[in-house]
Amino acid sequence: MSRLLSRRTAHSGGAGLELIDAVPVRHPWRWVGAVVILLILVLVVQSMTTNPKFYWGTFRTYLFDVLVIQGVGWTLILTVTSMIIAIVLAILLAFMRQSDNPLFRYVSWVWVWFFRGTPVYTQLLFWGSVGALYPKIIVGVPFGPELFSWDTATVINATVAAIVGLGLNESAYLAEIFRAGLKSVDNGQMEAAEALGMRRSKVMWRIILPQAMRVIIPPTGNETIGMLKTTSLVLAVPFTLDLTFVTNALASRTFLPIPLLMVAAFWYLGITSVLMVGQYYIERHYGKGVDNVTKAPVQATAAAAAAHAKPVDPADGTTEGGRP
Amino acid sequence: MTDTASIKKQESTRTKPLVEIQGVHKLFGSHHVLKGIDMTVKQGEVSVIIGPSGSGKSTLLRCINLLETISAGRIYVHDDLIGYREVNGKLHDLTTKQIAAQRREIGMVFQRFNLFPHKTALQNVIEAPTQVKRQSKAAAKLKATELLEMVGLGDRADFYPSQLSGGQQQRVAIARALAMEPELMLFDEPTSALDPELVGDVLEVMKDLAKSGMTMIVVTHEIGFAREVGDTLTFMDAGVVVESGNPREIIANPQHHRTQEFLSRVL
Repeated sequence: MSRLLSRRTAHSGGAGLELIDAVPVRHPWRWVGAVVILLILVLVVQSMTTNPKFYWGTFRTYLFDVLVIQGVGWTLILTVTSMIIAIVLAILLAFMRQSDNPLFRYVSWVWVWFFRGTPVYTQLLFWGSVGALYPKIIVGVPFGPELFSWDTATVINATVAAIVGLGLNESAYLAEIFRAGLKSVDNGQMEAAEALGMRRSKVMWRIILPQAMRVIIPPTGNETIGMLKTTSLVLAVPFTLDLTFVTNALASRTFLPIPLLMVAAFWYLGITSVLMVGQYYIERHYGKGVDNVTKAPVQATAAAAAAHAKPVDPADGTTEGGRP
Repeated sequence: MTDTASIKKQESTRTKPLVEIQGVHKLFGSHHVLKGIDMTVKQGEVSVIIGPSGSGKSTLLRCINLLETISAGRIYVHDDLIGYREVNGKLHDLTTKQIAAQRREIGMVFQRFNLFPHKTALQNVIEAPTQVKRQSKAAAKLKATELLEMVGLGDRADFYPSQLSGGQQQRVAIARALAMEPELMLFDEPTSALDPELVGDVLEVMKDLAKSGMTMIVVTHEIGFAREVGDTLTFMDAGVVVESGNPREIIANPQHHRTQEFLSRVL
């Protein structure tokens, strides 16, 4: 017993303190569960590798095919640009929704109502047919002279139609996420900033939005990963260079859909993983001061507070008087 | 009292009051919160408002810098009508820009501090000077460091609010308000959310500020502070000023029975 004690005190820094060394609660079923899951995993992998109908040779051939890599590139371009458009619009729409100006509030509401209320596939079809509906874009005086004109087909080509279609649709969903984020910030923040003489737009941009980002980022990451997969709908435009279209085309050429589906799935999963890493760092950035408060400064605070502690002046009746 | 402060106070005697509140009413729907408040605060004066919760004292304070709009009456700060423009006896709302300009002259300290949690103490203090007054970052930082030292937090400049105690946060909030060099400071129960042992530090800073000649309106439950630092004491109850005058006299010898009752409960 005494030997055990001395060993423990040595561990605790020799202060003569006996640290608690309790026996933890055992969880045998967790081990059973882990074994079962591992077993299922092994079976799945085994069945996939030994089943010749997966054509893993074809999978390997096309995984880094030039067309596939280009498809990955186009899918990334569509995802990133349409999300950028959507985020910019969503910030604007969310600010408008909170504005004192009733016109802004109404416009924002109608925008969200419309773009969220119609299918993205329909919207993409529409943007693909703008050229047929309006062959020329003309800037000029109504019923007067024509100043500039362009062929619609050159301005709104398939790429632009796909990006605009995806971006506008997504902006409506993101606007609601941003609105929820802005509402999550304590009203006292707005009051404090306004009391300092800051204009409302500045308060929103510098004080409210950065704090709202903590709430906004996780669902926006969700939407971005959703968008990555939604880009496969751009065949409605028709846009024919994205990953899903390319792998489908290759599949119908080779008559082997399964390995090419696997190729597409591999890349979607890969990009999603990269996006998740990015989201982690963005979350960390906007969590500063709130989520990731480091331990060290807190300890320093305590130490400094002790050092700072002023002896109470006995002649100072303020605190005693106020709090008897 | 320092020399500069006494000079300031002498100057103030010849001028009009800095704050003039005339017949102010405030209704929240059918709820009549302020029922005809008259009050003046001279330059360099510390005016303390006490009263039970729900008496309207915080609402009155919030009306002065337009966090609430008044339903009737007038509030003047430095001869400026707050919130409105009077043209031929008719009031016109001010634009948001004009309201922001009026607020710049009035600093406010809140019960719940309301520091910006995503900014460090220093960043909190320089935010308004750099963004509103367009001061250079270097100049604002210099001034902010001075202010943080004044409130005893020179070594806490790079800490986030969540790393500071309540008392420290409130002192940063005071420094943040002072950075705009306001003519008037409003304190809305600045120590009510603090642990008892942290109240003293905040009151100390407020006392120093009063000594430096700052005009202050303080809504508080700290009767000791009112007695020691206050130039006038106003007791409010149910939306009216019940009693007002020299703090030491009122606390020692309250005239109205409601004041007596309130003081007997808090002292």
